[in-house]
Amino acid sequence: MERRRAAFQSGLAVFAAAVAAWWLPQVLELFSIINATVYTAMAVLALSLALVWGFGGILCFGQAAFFGLGGYAYAVGALNVGDTTWAIPIALLVPTLAAAALGYVMFYGRISDVYMGVITLTVTLILFNFINSTAGEEWRIGAAPLGGFNGIPATPPLNVPGDPGTPLTPEQIFVVALACLAGCYVLCKLILRSHFGRVVVAIRENELRASLLGYDVRLYKLGIFTIGGAMAGLAGMLFANCVFVSPTMFSLAYSGQIIIWVMIGGVGTLFGPVVGAMLLQALTAWAGTLPDINPNLILGLVLVVAVLAIPRGLQPTLAGLLRRREAP
Amino acid sequence: MTALLATENLTMRFGGVVAVDGVTLSIGERELRCLIGPNGAGKSTFFRCLTGQYRPTSGRVLWRGRDIVGLEPHAIARLGIGIKTQVPSLFDGLTALEGVALGVRRLHGEREARRRALAALDRLGIADLAGATVGLLAHGQRQLVELATVVAPEPDLIILDEPTAGMSAEETAGTAALIREMSRDHAIVVVEHDMQFIRAIAETVTVLHQGRVLVEDTAPVVLSDPRVHDVYLGRPPEARQAVPA
Ligand SMILES: Nc1ncnc2c1ncn2[C@@H]1O[C@H](COP(=O)(O)OP(=O)(O)OP(=O)(O)O)[C@@H](O)[C@H]1O
Ligand SMILES: [Mg+2]
Repeated sequence: MERRRAAFQSGLAVFAAAVAAWWLPQVLELFSIINATVYTAMAVLALSLALVWGFGGILCFGQAAFFGLGGYAYAVGALNVGDTTWAIPIALLVPTLAAAALGYVMFYGRISDVYMGVITLTVTLILFNFINSTAGEEWRIGAAPLGGFNGIPATPPLNVPGDPGTPLTPEQIFVVALACLAGCYVLCKLILRSHFGRVVVAIRENELRASLLGYDVRLYKLGIFTIGGAMAGLAGMLFANCVFVSPTMFSLAYSGQIIIWVMIGGVGTLFGPVVGAMLLQALTAWAGTLPDINPNLILGLVLVVAVLAIPRGLQPTLAGLLRRREAP
Repeated sequence: MTALLATENLTMRFGGVVAVDGVTLSIGERELRCLIGPNGAGKSTFFRCLTGQYRPTSGRVLWRGRDIVGLEPHAIARLGIGIKTQVPSLFDGLTALEGVALGVRRLHGEREARRRALAALDRLGIADLAGATVGLLAHGQRQLVELATVVAPEPDLIILDEPTAGMSAEETAGTAALIREMSRDHAIVVVEHDMQFIRAIAETVTVLHQGRVLVEDTAPVVLSDPRVHDVYLGRPPEARQAVPA
C-alpha cells in the first residue's frame, strides 16, 4: 500500500518534470527559462535539507556550504577540463567529501545538537570569508581564478557530452535541472523506503532506542548527512550553470533561506519543501519589483503569517484538509 | 562454566553520589532473575552500566567472560543484550509493527522481520495495534509495544526495568506469562516492585539497597527476610504492591 503510494508519487514527479521540460521552453522567454532553472536548482537544494533535517532530524545551518562547494568545484573543474561533463563528478565529489569529513567530526565527536548548529554555521562563515578573500592573482586552481568577491563569472556551462565545442542551450540546461530535481526526488523516496532510510527515520524518532537495538547511530547520521551534502552540491552545480558562482553561495542569507523553504513546505515532507523553495523565490522576485518597499519586510511578514497560520507547513496542512474532505 | 553476564565490583559515581557501589553479580544462561530494591537503590543505573549507556566508574562487566566495559550501546546490543528501559523508549512516529520489525530487520530479511514482529505483537495480545502510531497509545499499551520490541529480536539476555508499570491487571498477567515462557530459552533480569508478580515468576531474587547487594537468595527466603522489609520503608512487602516509579 505504502510502497504503491511512493511509486505513484515518484511517477507523478517524473511526469510533472517531463511536462515542464517539454512545455515551459515553448512558452517562456530566455530570461524566464534561466530563472526557472535557478528555481529548480534551489528546489534541489531544498530537497537536500528536507532529507537531512526532515528525515534525519539533523538541523544543518550550513547546507549552503555544500551548495557553494558544489558550485565552485564545478566552475574550477569546468575551467580546467576541456569537456565540462567531467566537471559534474568533481562537483559532486568535493561537497560529498566535505560533508563526510564534517559529519564524521560532528557525529563521532558526540557533539550535541546545539553545537552541531553552531559548527555547521561556523564552517559556512569560514568558507564565505575564505572565498571572499581570494581576489588576488595568486588564488587560482589551474586555469581557474577564484576571483574573491567577484566569483567566477566566466564559468563555461555544461556541453553536449563528448563535444566540448557545443555548450548546452539554456533550454537544455533547464531540462537537465528538471531531470536532476525529479531524480533527486525519486532517490529520496527510494532511500526512505530502504532499510537504511527506515533506520535513519527511527533514529530521528528515538536515538537511544535505535542504538539499544544494535544500530550505530553515528554511522547512519553520517550516511544521510553525506547524501544531503552531495545533493546540495548538485544544486550548486546547476546554479553555476545558470547564474555564476560567487561567495554569496556560502552566505548566511542562503543557509537561512533553505531552512525557511523546508519549514514552509513542511519538515518531514519532500514535495512541500520543493514547492516552498519555488514559491518563496517567486515571492522574493516579486517583492523586489515593488517600488519603495523593502522586499525583506514583505518576506518577513509572509514568514510570520505562514508560521502562525500553517505551523506544520504546506504539505501536511494540505494533506490534512484533503483527508478531512474524504472522510466527513 | 562462565556465566552469561557477570559484574565484578561494578561502581558508578555521580559526583558525590554512589549510585552503584561495588556490585558483583552473575547471571547464568536461561536464568530468570528478579532485581528489587527501593526507589533510588541504583537498579536503573546498574542497567545503564551493563548496556553501555553509562561508562562505570570502576569494575568490570563480563559477557561470556569477555570484558565489555567501554563498548558502545549498539555494540553491546549486538552481542545479544536487549533492554526495556524504565521510561518507555519507543519510536513514537512509527507504527507498532514498523518499530518492532526494525529491531528484527538487523538480523533477518524483510519478510521474516515482519513475520517475527507480528508474532511478538500477537504474543503480547496487541496484534490489533500493529498499524497504530506508537505515540498515540496509552501508557500500558506502550509498555507492551516496548516489550515486543525488545523480545522480538530474541536477545540472549533480556533486561526489563519495571515492565508492568502502568499496566492493567490483565496486561500484567499477560506479561508475567510471557516472561515465564521466554525464560525457557533466554536469560531474563526483571526489576519489579510488585511482590505478587515476583512470587509468580522468580527463582532467584537480588535485593539492591543504596547501590549495594543486600541479599541474594530464592524468592521465598528473600521476601520473608526482615532486612528486605526494612529497606522497603519498614512496611511488609504485601503492602507495597505497585509502588509508583
Ligand atoms: N545521571 C545521574 N546523575 C546524578 N545522579 C544520578 C543519575 N542517575 C541516577 N542518579 C542517582 O543514582 C541513584 C540511583 O538511581 P536509579 O535511578 O538507578 O535508582 P532505581 O533503583 O532505578 O530507582 P527507581 O526504583 O526509582 O527506578 C539515585 O540516587 C539517583 O538520584
Ligand atoms: Mg529505576
